[in-house]
Amino acid sequence: MLPLSIKDDEYKPAKFNLLVKLSGWFRSILADKTSRNLFFFLCLNLSFAFVELMYGIWSNSLGLISDSFHMFFDCTALLAGLAASVISRWRSNDSFSYGYVRAEVLAGFVNGLFLIFTAFFIFSEGVERALEPPDVHHERLLPVSVAGLLVNLVGIFVFQHGGHGHSHGEGGHGHSHSLFNGSLNHGHRHGHSHDGHGHGHEHSHGGHGHSHEEPHCHGKSLTQSIPICGHHKHNSDQQSDVCVLLHIIADTLGSIGVIISALLMQKYELMIADPICSMLIALLIGVSVVPLLKESIGILMQRTPPSLDQALPECYQRVQQLQGVYNLQEPHFWTLCTDVYIGTLKLLVAPDADTRWILSQTHNIFTQAGVRQLYVQIDTAAM
Amino acid sequence: MACEPNRVRLLCMLSLTFGFFIVEVVVSRITSSLSMLSDSFHMLSDVIALVVALVAVRFAEKTQATNKNTFGWIRAEVMGALVNAVFLTALCFTIVLEAIERFTEPHEIDSPEVVAGVGAAGLLINLLGLCLFHGHAGGGHGHSHGGHSHGSKNKRSKAGKSQKAGNGSSGEETNNLVGNHNSPGETRPRNEINCKDSAEVQMNGNTHFDEMDHEHDSSSQLNMRGVFLHVLGDALGSVIVVVNALVLIFVWQPCKAGEMCVNPCINTHTTDHKHVNHTLVDLLEGPTVTAMKTAGPCWVLYLDPTLCLIMVCILLYTTYPLLKESALILLQTVPKQINMHRVNERLLSLDGVLAIHELHIWQLAGSRIIATAHIKCHDPTSYMEVAKRIKDFFHDEGIHATTIQPEFVTFNSESRDSLCELSCRTQCAPKLCCGSADKPNADKKAGSDSKAAASALEVISETSEQAAAVQVRPRADAEVTVAREVESSL
Repeated sequence: MLPLSIKDDEYKPAKFNLLVKLSGWFRSILADKTSRNLFFFLCLNLSFAFVELMYGIWSNSLGLISDSFHMFFDCTALLAGLAASVISRWRSNDSFSYGYVRAEVLAGFVNGLFLIFTAFFIFSEGVERALEPPDVHHERLLPVSVAGLLVNLVGIFVFQHGGHGHSHGEGGHGHSHSLFNGSLNHGHRHGHSHDGHGHGHEHSHGGHGHSHEEPHCHGKSLTQSIPICGHHKHNSDQQSDVCVLLHIIADTLGSIGVIISALLMQKYELMIADPICSMLIALLIGVSVVPLLKESIGILMQRTPPSLDQALPECYQRVQQLQGVYNLQEPHFWTLCTDVYIGTLKLLVAPDADTRWILSQTHNIFTQAGVRQLYVQIDTAAM
Repeated sequence: MACEPNRVRLLCMLSLTFGFFIVEVVVSRITSSLSMLSDSFHMLSDVIALVVALVAVRFAEKTQATNKNTFGWIRAEVMGALVNAVFLTALCFTIVLEAIERFTEPHEIDSPEVVAGVGAAGLLINLLGLCLFHGHAGGGHGHSHGGHSHGSKNKRSKAGKSQKAGNGSSGEETNNLVGNHNSPGETRPRNEINCKDSAEVQMNGNTHFDEMDHEHDSSSQLNMRGVFLHVLGDALGSVIVVVNALVLIFVWQPCKAGEMCVNPCINTHTTDHKHVNHTLVDLLEGPTVTAMKTAGPCWVLYLDPTLCLIMVCILLYTTYPLLKESALILLQTVPKQINMHRVNERLLSLDGVLAIHELHIWQLAGSRIIATAHIKCHDPTSYMEVAKRIKDFFHDEGIHATTIQPEFVTFNSESRDSLCELSCRTQCAPKLCCGSADKPNADKKAGSDSKAAASALEVISETSEQAAAVQVRPRADAEVTVAREVESSL
C-alpha cells in the first residue's frame, strides 16, 4: 500500500493572511499601468482632501471642511474604479463561473449613478443659494479657480494619452475601445463660498478620472481613452474622435464657466452668477453621464451587443443554409464585458445530418463575427 | 396580473409624495426656512426612487423577447433595485456630511412649531407608504399586522414578511426539498448574507412554480425591497425631524429678540464680537446691568446630528444586503441555492455523459436561471437520450432554460477527453475571458495522470471519474488519481 502524502503548504497561519492579501492587491495594482495611474490620482485627491480638511479645522472654516468632505465623496468614485480593476482580474471559481470580469461594468454603472446623484446635489445647492444668496468673499476665488483648472488639465492629460488599441486576432473586429468605466474627467468645479467666513474656494472634481482597460478581455493591453464614447464600429474613427472632442469641450466649458462667474462676481458684484454656474455645471455633468449609463445598462440587461447588430442576421442566414439544418431557434447573444460576447442558440437538424460538421461550421461562422464562446444545441427533428 | 397591485401602490405613493414635496417647497418659501427646503429635496429624491421603481416594473412586464433584448426586459427589476440601493447609499453619505457640518457649527431652527407640523405630516405619509409596501411580499398577503408603525423595527417586519411568505408557499418548499436531490443545507453556502435568509427562503421556494407568476414575485421583490428601504429611510428622517422640533419647543430656551442674551453654543465670529461689545458696554455703563440670559441647554443643538448619524447606521445596515444581492445577480454569479460542485458530480454520474466543459449557471432575474454547458458523449445516436436525461436533471434543479452543446468523442482521443473538442486554438487561449488560462494547466495535469491510469486499466467506464478530476481543484484532483492508481496496483 503506497502511503499518501499530505500537503502541508495549504495550511497557512491566519494572521499572515491579511498582510499577504493586502500586499497581493498592492502588487496587482502597481503591475498594471492604468490601475497605477488610478491609484496615484486617488492618492493625489485624498491628499488634497486631507490638506483642505486640516486647513479648514485650523482656520475654523466650515466651507473648507464641507468642501473637503465633498472631495472625499469623489474619492469613493475613484476607489470604486480601482477596486473594479483589481477585482476583475481575479480568477473564476465555483460561485463565479465567468470570473469577476463584469465588475468593471458594474463599477462604471455605479459611478455613473453617483455622478448623477452628485449633479442633483449640486443643482439643489445651487437652487438654495440662488434663493438665499450668502455673502461671498471673492478675493481668493479667481486664482483658486485657475489653479483648479490646471489640476483638471493635468487629469485630462494623464488619462488620455494614446488613442485606441487594436485587438488583433481573429479578424473582424478592428478597434475596440476600452472603457467603460468612466474616465469622467469632469473638471467640474464650482466656486463655493460660505457665509461669513470669507473664503472663496474651489474644488475640482477631477476626481472621476479613472480609466482603465478591460483587463483580460483582450489579450493585448489597450490604452485608456475617454470612455463615454464606448464602443465604436469598425470603420468609424471619426465617431470616436468627435465623441472625445465633445467630452473635452464639456470639461473646459465647466472650468471656463467657473472662471467667468468668478470674474463676474469680482467686477460686477453679480452674486447670482455663482449659483447659476453651479446649476449649469450640474446639468453638464448629468448630460455627459447619459451615454455611459446607456451603455452599461445595455450590457447589464443582457442586450444583444450593439456592435454585432448587423453581423448577426447574416450569420443566422449562413447557418441556416448549412446542409441538414432546418431551423435556427432561440438565439441569445450578450456581452460579458467589453468585447467578450457569449451566445447560445438551438438548431433543428435533420436526423441524418452530420452533427459534427454542423457544429464546427457554426462555430467558425460565429467566430468570424467575433463571438468566441458559443453554445449550440442540436435538436434532431423527428421524421 | 400579479404586477398590477405593485403599479397601483407605486403610483399612489408617488402622487402622495410629490404632492407633499410641493407643499414643503411652498411652506419653505413662506417661512423662508432653509432646512425645510433641504428636507423637500430629500422628498424629491424619494420621488425619484419611486419613479425608478415604477419604470423598472413597467419594463419588466415585457417579458417577451424583442429583437435587441432577446431575454426580454425582466432584468429591469434587478437594475431598479440596484439603482435604488446606490441612491440610498449616496443619500446616506450626504446626510453624514450635513450632520458633521452641524456638529462643527450647530444652529437652531427658527420656528420649530411649523417644522414639527410639517414633519408630522411627512411622517404620516411615510408610514402609509410603509404599510403599502410592507404588506406586499410573496403574493397577496395583504396587510400584515394591522398597519401600526413599523418605524425602526424593520428587522422584525422583514422577518414577518418572510414568515408569511413561508407559510403560504410551504407547499412549494416541500416540493422543492423533495425534488431537489441536493439537501438544502449544503446548497446554500452561508457567507456574509446574514439576515436575508428570509429572502433566500422565498427564492428557494419559488423555483418550482409557474414561471410567469413567481418570477414576477421573486424578482419584483428585490425592486419593492429597494422602495421599502427608501421609504423607511424617509420615515426615520421624519421621526428625527419631529423629535428634534418637539425637544426644541419644550426644552430649548431661545434668545428672544430685544433681550440682551448671549448664545454660548454657537461660536461664530460675529457673535463673539457682539459678546465682547456687550460686556464692554455693560462694564462702561455701570452696575445697572441686568443678568445675562443665556440660551437654553446646548446639548439640544447636538441632538439633531446625533440622531441623523444613528439613522444613517440603521439605513446602511439594511441597505447593504440589497446592494450585495442585486450586484451579485448582475455579476453573473451562480445562484446561491445551487452548488456547482454537486451539479457537476451528478451530471457526470448520468449515463452516457463522458465529460463536461464550460458549465455556466447564472440567474437572469428572480427564479429564472439559465445554464449552458458542453457535454461530451459517445456518438450522435446516443446523444438524444442523453440530452433528455440532462434536461430532466436540470429541470429538477429548477433550471429551465438550458443550452447543451454536444461534443462527440473522436476515435483516438479516449484518454484526452478532458479537453474541449471545439475549443479555441491554443494561441488564443490567453485571450479567453474568465480565467480559462487556468484550465489548460489543470487539463494537462489531469490528462497525464489519467493517461497513466487508463493504460494500467483500460476500462472505458472509468473515464467519467477521471474526467471528474478536471473540474475539481488540482489538489483533490491529484488525490483522486492517486487513489485510482492505488486501487489499480492492488
